[in-house]
Amino acid sequence: MVNSYDLIIIGGGPAGLSAAIYGGRAKLKTLVINKGTIGGLADTTREIVNYPGYIQVSGPDLMKDFQKHAKHFNVEFLKEEVISVDFSQEDKLIKTKKGKEFSAKAVIVACGSEPRILNIPGEKTLRGSGVAYCATCDAEFFEGEDVVVVGSGDQAIEEGMYITKFARKVTVIVLHDEGILDCNKVSAERAFNNGKMEFIWNSTIEEVLGKENVEGVKIKNIKTGTSSQLICQGIFFFVGMIPSTHFLKDSGLEIEKSGYIPANDRMETNLEGIYAVGDNRVKYLRQVVSAAGDGATAAVAAERYIAELKDFNANILKNDKKILLLFFNVLINESLEFSTLLERLISENGDEYKIFKVDMATKKHLAGKYEIGKVPAVVVLDKGNVIKRLDCSMDKEKLKSQLF
Amino acid sequence: MSLQELDANRFEEIIYDNCEPCLVIFRRKTCHVCKEVVPILEELQPQYEGKFGFYYVDAEEVKSLLQRFSLKGVPQILFFNEGEYRGKLAGKIEEETIEEKIAEVLGA
Ligand SMILES: Cc1cc2nc3c(=O)[nH]c(=O)nc-3n(C[C@H](O)[C@H](O)[C@H](O)COP(=O)(O)OP(=O)(O)OC[C@H]3O[C@@H](n4cnc5c(N)ncnc54)[C@H](O)[C@@H]3O)c2cc1C
Repeated sequence: MVNSYDLIIIGGGPAGLSAAIYGGRAKLKTLVINKGTIGGLADTTREIVNYPGYIQVSGPDLMKDFQKHAKHFNVEFLKEEVISVDFSQEDKLIKTKKGKEFSAKAVIVACGSEPRILNIPGEKTLRGSGVAYCATCDAEFFEGEDVVVVGSGDQAIEEGMYITKFARKVTVIVLHDEGILDCNKVSAERAFNNGKMEFIWNSTIEEVLGKENVEGVKIKNIKTGTSSQLICQGIFFFVGMIPSTHFLKDSGLEIEKSGYIPANDRMETNLEGIYAVGDNRVKYLRQVVSAAGDGATAAVAAERYIAELKDFNANILKNDKKILLLFFNVLINESLEFSTLLERLISENGDEYKIFKVDMATKKHLAGKYEIGKVPAVVVLDKGNVIKRLDCSMDKEKLKSQLF
Repeated sequence: MSLQELDANRFEEIIYDNCEPCLVIFRRKTCHVCKEVVPILEELQPQYEGKFGFYYVDAEEVKSLLQRFSLKGVPQILFFNEGEYRGKLAGKIEEETIEEKIAEVLGA
């Protein structure tokens, strides 16, 4: 049996949890499906100092509050991974890795991103034996040793400085020219003043060396093309994130080559009833506060969409009168003129019919459902069943003869 | 069901005295990847009741074991059978990979 919901949110990071709070509060039957620990990336952050109202808070603590808030509004949670979706129908279908199936009127994609793997020799085989991705987890294993950090973004530099509390020396491998880091200015300055931090510029990593444990790295200078070796016992990779949207590849959802999903200011994607929020959408700032804003916006947009859908089903499909579904597009003048003509004709001839205008630009699912290719187009419904399609003639008499 | 914790003594007993076929996950409280992998083990455990043991050690408590197996990071799952070390899996590991490894250890 398929469990059905009003709203399903894929991902339980700050974006998904905020959407859940708004969805639950709007009394939508809401389910959050999240594969990892609740809180997503924010749960992995030691301290957050820029979330309004909290001068300093740990990521896990803040995320616990988010989840508690969502549960307060009766949101349901499921710890599972979504592996496939079918967004082609009005009821959207979602399948999990363990074979569970769910349906929802609206879906919010809030899957965030995951660390990029470079896939260089030694990276996989020496994981846990010197290759690491999380400073909080593993920095202490390198007490008094030499560590290499790859990358120069906020995460690389901040985590690198954390590692200096334990390691003897931290060497940062930076792609750019001397003095240029990708991280924020405050962190860069602190890093340059940290006596245990060293930098190798214009360089990248080619290979992790070692049999049982990491013994060194092979560094390539991208300007000169020369390679060199550096002895170290540990290497931490912080080479950016990739959006976790691969499972949506064949869903019809528009996804950029980079993996990010474009959405408008209501978080609407190219598919009706599907929204993208937080780190997995194309946007300017990827932070907890902006993720939360996205979540709220999408949930409100989803709520309105669901209300319209329910309204359509109740008022159009179950109406006592015959319904004329009139498809138009504001950009096509002919469809607007035809619309005026039809409205006049109907108002002059009693109340046998009721017109329901459908904007092709926003109601794509209706156009699809009734197989409308071009406008103007009119479908005549009786109790929800299609009884006729009109020849949309601008000749009033010809039009009239088809209806009366 | 939550995993049973081993201290250094219990570790010796289970692995080398009892020669139990089992896995031991080395984890830390502050490690978020551990928080993802431990629940996978907790879910798998009942399927192997009586056939294969599931244990954890706190990496902060048993530094000597870290050195013995030259572990430099958590989470890591170590596999044992007949008093012998049979390999390990490190990092964010999928359920299937763990099941395959258990089958390999039991089959060998
Ligand atoms: C080291 C670091 C430090 C940071 N520091 C700060 C900071 O100080 N302040 C700040 O505001 N921001 C900070 N950020 C950024 C912030 O963490 C992110 O912007 C935010 O977490 C994005 O939220 P999200 O909900 O979009 O995605 P995420 O937090 O990534 O959550 C996505 C969730 O979706 C789940 N998921 C993915 N795919 C699936 C699937 N197929 N099925 C089910 N579930 C799935 C994931 O498991 C995850 O739980 C930091 C990020 C990093 C990496």
